[in-house]
Amino acid sequence: MKVASFDIVFQEIPGEVTLALNLSNCPCHCPGCHSPHLAEDIGEPLTAELLDGLIARYKGLITCVAFMGGDADPAEVARLAEWIKNHQSPMTNDQSVLRTAWYSGRQQAPECLTAQRSVSETVCQCNGLSGAAGLPFDYVKLGPYIESLGGLKSPTTNQRLYKRVGESWVDITSSFWKKEL
Amino acid sequence: METYIIKRDGKKELFTIDKIKNAISKAFLAVGAFATEETLTNILSHLRVSNETTVEDIQNQVEVALMAEGYYQVAKAYMLYRHQHTEDRDTQRRLDFMMNYVQASNAAEGSKFDANANVEHKNIATLIGELPKQGFIRLNRRLLTERIKEMFGKELSDRYMSLLNQHFIYKNDETNLANYCASITMYPWLIGGTKSIGGNATPPHNLKSFCGGFINMVFMVSSMLSGACATPEFLMYMNYFIEQEYGDDYYKRADEIVDLSKKRRTIDKVITDCFQQVVYSLNQPSGARNFQSVFWNISYYDRYYFKSLFENFRFPNGEAPHWESLDWLQRRFMNWFNEERLRCVLTFPVETMALLAENGDIKDKEYGDFTAEMYAKGHSFFTYVSDNADSLSSCCRLRNEITDNGFSYTLGAGGVSTGSKSVLTINLNRAIQYAVRNNIPYQAYIEDVVDLMHKVQLAYNENLKTLQERGMLPLFDAGYINIGRQYLTIGVNGLVEAAEFLGIEIKDSPEYAHFVQEVLGIIEKKNKEYRTKNVMFNCEMIPAENVGVKHAKWDREDGYVVPRDCYNSYFYIVEDTNINVLDRFRLHGRQYIEHLTGGSALHCNLEEHLSQEQYRQLLRVAAIEGCNYFTFNIPNTVCNDCGHIDKRYLKECPHCHSKNVDYLTRVIGYMKRVSNFSEARQKEAAKRYYAEASKAPKCVCE
Repeated sequence: MKVASFDIVFQEIPGEVTLALNLSNCPCHCPGCHSPHLAEDIGEPLTAELLDGLIARYKGLITCVAFMGGDADPAEVARLAEWIKNHQSPMTNDQSVLRTAWYSGRQQAPECLTAQRSVSETVCQCNGLSGAAGLPFDYVKLGPYIESLGGLKSPTTNQRLYKRVGESWVDITSSFWKKEL
Repeated sequence: METYIIKRDGKKELFTIDKIKNAISKAFLAVGAFATEETLTNILSHLRVSNETTVEDIQNQVEVALMAEGYYQVAKAYMLYRHQHTEDRDTQRRLDFMMNYVQASNAAEGSKFDANANVEHKNIATLIGELPKQGFIRLNRRLLTERIKEMFGKELSDRYMSLLNQHFIYKNDETNLANYCASITMYPWLIGGTKSIGGNATPPHNLKSFCGGFINMVFMVSSMLSGACATPEFLMYMNYFIEQEYGDDYYKRADEIVDLSKKRRTIDKVITDCFQQVVYSLNQPSGARNFQSVFWNISYYDRYYFKSLFENFRFPNGEAPHWESLDWLQRRFMNWFNEERLRCVLTFPVETMALLAENGDIKDKEYGDFTAEMYAKGHSFFTYVSDNADSLSSCCRLRNEITDNGFSYTLGAGGVSTGSKSVLTINLNRAIQYAVRNNIPYQAYIEDVVDLMHKVQLAYNENLKTLQERGMLPLFDAGYINIGRQYLTIGVNGLVEAAEFLGIEIKDSPEYAHFVQEVLGIIEKKNKEYRTKNVMFNCEMIPAENVGVKHAKWDREDGYVVPRDCYNSYFYIVEDTNINVLDRFRLHGRQYIEHLTGGSALHCNLEEHLSQEQYRQLLRVAAIEGCNYFTFNIPNTVCNDCGHIDKRYLKECPHCHSKNVDYLTRVIGYMKRVSNFSEARQKEAAKRYYAEASKAPKCVCE
């Protein structure tokens, strides 16, 4: 798995100061994609060392690490997220531990969410992962980009952002639609 | 062979003897005499005209020739004739300037000498203010160079003028005679009214006279300063008068109706009406300031800052200020101002929230949360974060070491009475490139220039002292400003551009940090060297204002490497999209600002507002990184058609859907309409990179 670039973002994960890792080799090829270059095989291999270096660089400053993509190898994304959860030292301020997020484009969220299955199960099933309850993410975004429906900021979007609250997942997509300050 | 002479406008003209003959004949006629052909030939035989001789030179020769031939009266008439023409040309120049100004697209563009002047519209009053500016520049230079000669000799004075004319250094605010900016204590006014500074107002004795008197006092003080006037005690004093009128617990009864008129106003309404009176009055163009409004700044304090600054303060009735009510009033004012800015473009006051940091976070959690809340509500203000309450930024650009926190009746409120007397700026890009080109170690060259700058500032200080001795500076005498706490400021500009020239990448790296520390360290070393019991120096990264644009233009014209049209006022390249928000805080963090004793402000440009939690985290970031002065700048949208103001950065008016919109953004610390900037500044503003919150793909597949 390779990381093409990284950035500090604010809108992707509400309330968090997020280190976003833009992963390449995206298999989704959504028509109208804003970052088509991420479908190519570009960037540096995303190793635990590279990740450790980036997190150390922004230690105490970021509250969340987001994997943007990585649908070609979801198991690796999960492994690295797990690694983050296990390998960070406590931060100096009163923010709790570093949170993790995954922006996936693979599932048709509405289909997957029928029959009231939990997101983690859904994510696991759709991506062939095991260990549903222990999914190492605090946020998961699901759904491909469909031009006519728009991204998360569009009220007609098919995409969904879920936040882990205790053992369950809450759909927080509507927080993107709040317009007034 | 034909001979060409050079006219005053630089153009060449074929030389003819007739014009000179004519002028000499006229001079003879002026004294009632007549020049014969022979007389003329004798006079003309003294002249030496070759190719590219200037008109000025020929006329000088004519004067000498007339005197050599013994025609002293005629020579005198000729000189008068020349002088008259010089005056005519000067008037013509002023007239041309006036016509240019009248036709310029806005006031900043028309202003030739001081384009950041806080003027929104151009009209006859602003034009009147522009006309004498060139005269002030000449006068200021003369005053200064005379003093430099007296103190350090002619050679240094000449070198100063040479460095100034070659744009190695820049004298800020030469178009005004007054000292620069000050954070004042209002204590002398509270005790004695405005009599001591030349007014006739008695001390304020109730809320109404406080508000009215405050406005007048700020106008008076501002007319004696060329820059900003900060009143860090404004809300504290206002709180005192509200308490006197409605009781110490007024804030607990804010909904109580206290107005017996038909309006039936509540305490809260009475207070916000006071806010309205003061804020709207002070945002008015001021007649005494060439139609500029005053530059007015205020401060808010967290619990710890308040305690540190005002613990020992006593009002005339012997009472100490009360934190609980002031806390309420600070919050009320900030919220009121934020909402009022949706109704009207209000630039002033520029607000600074002073927060104490401890262990990588804001010590006063309530104020940390409140500060984040106000940013999330779209309010635009500065935050000052310090590990010790021993320094304070009470001005839009000034950081002061508070040497004595204690309140004293003779000196006024401790710590708040301070400022910068004069700013003299070094153009680091030119200085460093010049040194490298001439094989001089740039460190040595900068040190040499900076040393001269200190001497120049000392000369300025002597002039100021002379003015004070003659009773010309009542703000000092009356104790509004303490001259011992006023700094002489060494400004820096073109730091980033100089580093780029040296091949240093502008990012957080040991190499860049070393360069910054080295260069600013040289200035700090000199600041310490020249410091005496009576004179203090500080170093400030000056807001680019128009200096950044001027330097870039002049340097480019002279063949220096100039990577952009406006030199940065930051430690990073403002248009660089690879420098993320956290990197910016780090690049304005303790490693980089260590030697900037006079401060610098990080204007963190963002495309969209963040949430309260995110702003709260960025306050922690500031505390961790040691970035002590910053603001978030999200351009506000103003509709040119329906007048709707929105705190967001929008392409279309959400009210009437017009696309004819303008933006309010910060320049030099002041919120202004982008269309009121000068053209060069508009270019810079357009290039500015507002970190898109959603720059990373919303989804890799999107």
